[in-house]
Amino acid sequence: MAVSVPSDLWPQVERLLSRVERPSRYIDHEWGAHRREMAAYRVALMYPDAYEVGMANQALQVLADRLREIDDIAIERVFLPWVDMAAAMRETGVPLFTLESCAPVADVDLLGITLSNELTYSNVLEALDLAGIPLRAADRDDTHPLVIGGGPSAHNPEPMASFFDAILIGDGEDAVLEIVAADRAAIGRGAKRMERVRALAAIEGVYVPSLYAPGPDGRLVATAPAPGRVRRRVLADLDSYPAPTCPVVPYADVVHDRATVEVLRGCSRGCRFCQAGMVYRPVRERSADSIVRDALAGLTCTGYEELSLTSLSTADHSQLEAVLRRLVARLDGTGTAISVPSLRVDSFTVPLARLLGDGRKSGLTFAPEAGSQRLRDAINKNITEEEIITAVEQAFTAGWRRVKLYFMIGLPTEIDDDVRAIGALVERVLGVAREATPKAERGGLRVAVSVSTFVPKAHTPFQWDGQVPIEEVRRRQGLLRESMPHRGVELSWHDPSSSLLEAVLARGGREMADGIEAAWRAGARFDAWTEHFSLGRWLEAFASVGIDAAEAASAPYIQGGPLPWSHIDSGLAEGFLRLERSRTDSATTTPDCTFEDCTGCGVCPGLGVENVIAGGGSRA
Amino acid sequence: MPEGFKLRICFRKTGPLRFLSHLETGRAWERAARRARLPYAVSQGFTPRMRIAFGPALPVGTAGEREYVDILLTRFVPVAEVTERLGASVVPELGLVKCGYVSPAEASLASRLTIAAYEVEIEGGSPQQETERSLVTLMGTGSLSVEHKGKQKVFDLSQALPKEPEVRFVEGRTIIRMWVRMGDQGSLRPEVFVTAAVGRDRVVSVTRTDLLIDDDQGWRRPL
Repeated sequence: MAVSVPSDLWPQVERLLSRVERPSRYIDHEWGAHRREMAAYRVALMYPDAYEVGMANQALQVLADRLREIDDIAIERVFLPWVDMAAAMRETGVPLFTLESCAPVADVDLLGITLSNELTYSNVLEALDLAGIPLRAADRDDTHPLVIGGGPSAHNPEPMASFFDAILIGDGEDAVLEIVAADRAAIGRGAKRMERVRALAAIEGVYVPSLYAPGPDGRLVATAPAPGRVRRRVLADLDSYPAPTCPVVPYADVVHDRATVEVLRGCSRGCRFCQAGMVYRPVRERSADSIVRDALAGLTCTGYEELSLTSLSTADHSQLEAVLRRLVARLDGTGTAISVPSLRVDSFTVPLARLLGDGRKSGLTFAPEAGSQRLRDAINKNITEEEIITAVEQAFTAGWRRVKLYFMIGLPTEIDDDVRAIGALVERVLGVAREATPKAERGGLRVAVSVSTFVPKAHTPFQWDGQVPIEEVRRRQGLLRESMPHRGVELSWHDPSSSLLEAVLARGGREMADGIEAAWRAGARFDAWTEHFSLGRWLEAFASVGIDAAEAASAPYIQGGPLPWSHIDSGLAEGFLRLERSRTDSATTTPDCTFEDCTGCGVCPGLGVENVIAGGGSRA
Repeated sequence: MPEGFKLRICFRKTGPLRFLSHLETGRAWERAARRARLPYAVSQGFTPRMRIAFGPALPVGTAGEREYVDILLTRFVPVAEVTERLGASVVPELGLVKCGYVSPAEASLASRLTIAAYEVEIEGGSPQQETERSLVTLMGTGSLSVEHKGKQKVFDLSQALPKEPEVRFVEGRTIIRMWVRMGDQGSLRPEVFVTAAVGRDRVVSVTRTDLLIDDDQGWRRPL
């Protein structure tokens, strides 16, 4: 295969940097950045948002590490330039560039793009346009890179399907190697673009949208060689895949600027609203030894002052206390803080609080999600009010002075009493927090309450439900505001208008592509940034292509009927999802299969995997 | 910084890394010290932090050849060893120039360093003498009024520039060397002075080549 040296855009980029905000986003040369000048195959991995958001993405670091094991290929990072830089680039004719070689993105062989959430969709189009790559896969030719997506939002790939040549569903660690190998082999055979793309369809987990067309009932039907349903890719265990220990260490102040180790993947708690909890099954815990080893190696290599043990539910790890005890002992006196993302109140214990309380005292985050016991049962949150109160009491007794509580409104079956119950619960939390805090310190006591709007997602028991209309969401927000205590509470909202867009894009089908393109043409980008988001622009764009976005967000799907994601096999049995949905109406809970019996979700037999608990057996 | 061993590090910030902000540069050195496993001292209290202190900020986009940072160590590590470990923990564009120990009682870099030497490269084909004349003419006016964040600020040039700027031709490039006094009242930015003297859009690059202490022993480097 021909070895190529990319063209260097740096002299042109450099001239723009004195004109833009935060130029350190564009300069590469961080500790841990790798540059491979000569390469037979070039891959660009992009997170479609600003550098400071994209650098927090662990998946890209994991995939880059995996691909770097292949000697003769170059792996480079790409982020979306901020609006000022994008304007300067267009003005001076500088195309989207990779960071390491400062080479045109359009010149790589494969462009991988993370689909992490719906609010980055317009950014994908902005990036393709800045790169000079045709937006629609159908318009690309042999001179353009293959554009491949993947990530959590890919579980309903349809709204973005026509912009991608292929989309990976599920875990990427092995699949990326197979994708690159298959494409290199195809290029080696002298294959043209269509043949290169078709070759990818043979890889498990890879969805090639151009090989699927709507059938008589609306479901997408595959053309050979594509499978009828694309089976989600899943790793059997995590321990054979070390966490990236020498990731790129940014200079800029980025989101989650710290060393991270993914301690487990998957969550079997079974919260009915949670897409991640459904589509990342089964639970795969990393062993305590490998967590401690990778955490210490990561801190040494990066020089980070904070370590985060990440996962969907870190406190559920069967050996978390042992892991923390070992880490605390090793990191004593180094000024290194250990943090965990949001905790389940029923896994929060006094020893855990003490272990995390050493080092810096960052705030604690709990997610009760709903205010009333009935609604918590309906969504299968499986925690009681007493558990919430006990956890808060323990945290404040252990020295925390700040706790953050996450709630959602608009969940299926919610009534006004459930909304008011959030206020009552916060009031009780505030009360026990005060009690547990010495009088002199009560002034600094804070309960932060963050409220978002429920977005129904594919492959969950709520996949058939529509979103509550935005006017009704606003009315319930008013109700909540009235019922919320004022002193000591910091109340914040996730903007319901962006939740509406999320619902449209999370639930929609292929027809959404025209709306997304129209919105981008009207100026939509950086939709996750409040200052750039305009619901009006999106509604108009959808209307211009004949889509009523409000209707698309709120109209339910019929059980048994076609869904835009019917051809994506996440491993979950439809019968399980239906049963879970019916249990919502009766507020019946379903236990966690890592503590109790199998719940019959279908993932283990369907995908040939099982739960991996670090200590062996079950967590009970 | 009281007891302990005060390590003074002289480093460069060049190439693409001249676009780092002061804060970003600081964080980079903090992490480099951790990677090098230096026995750094940590502050007491709720959020323990590395005991680290920086010299005067370098504007984003301006390169530096001899910038400084002090880190308090809890035990002595030979200079040769620190040099090796730190040198291996940074990228070349943010490279270690040298390091050594100073008295823990020594006043902070920010207060000691009052003279900054710069090289300003300009483009445009005026001969050396003409450039020199422009500089002399501007110096001769005695003061320069600068707009900063909507406010006019007048610099007394004999105070702001304690030594006459010099012009040099090096390999076909025109370089103006100048020395700027830094103080609580802010300092004159070299590109502002050069632009006022030779006209707009001529500055190609600005490099701070040295930071100096000015006391009864004259001008000297802090290390």
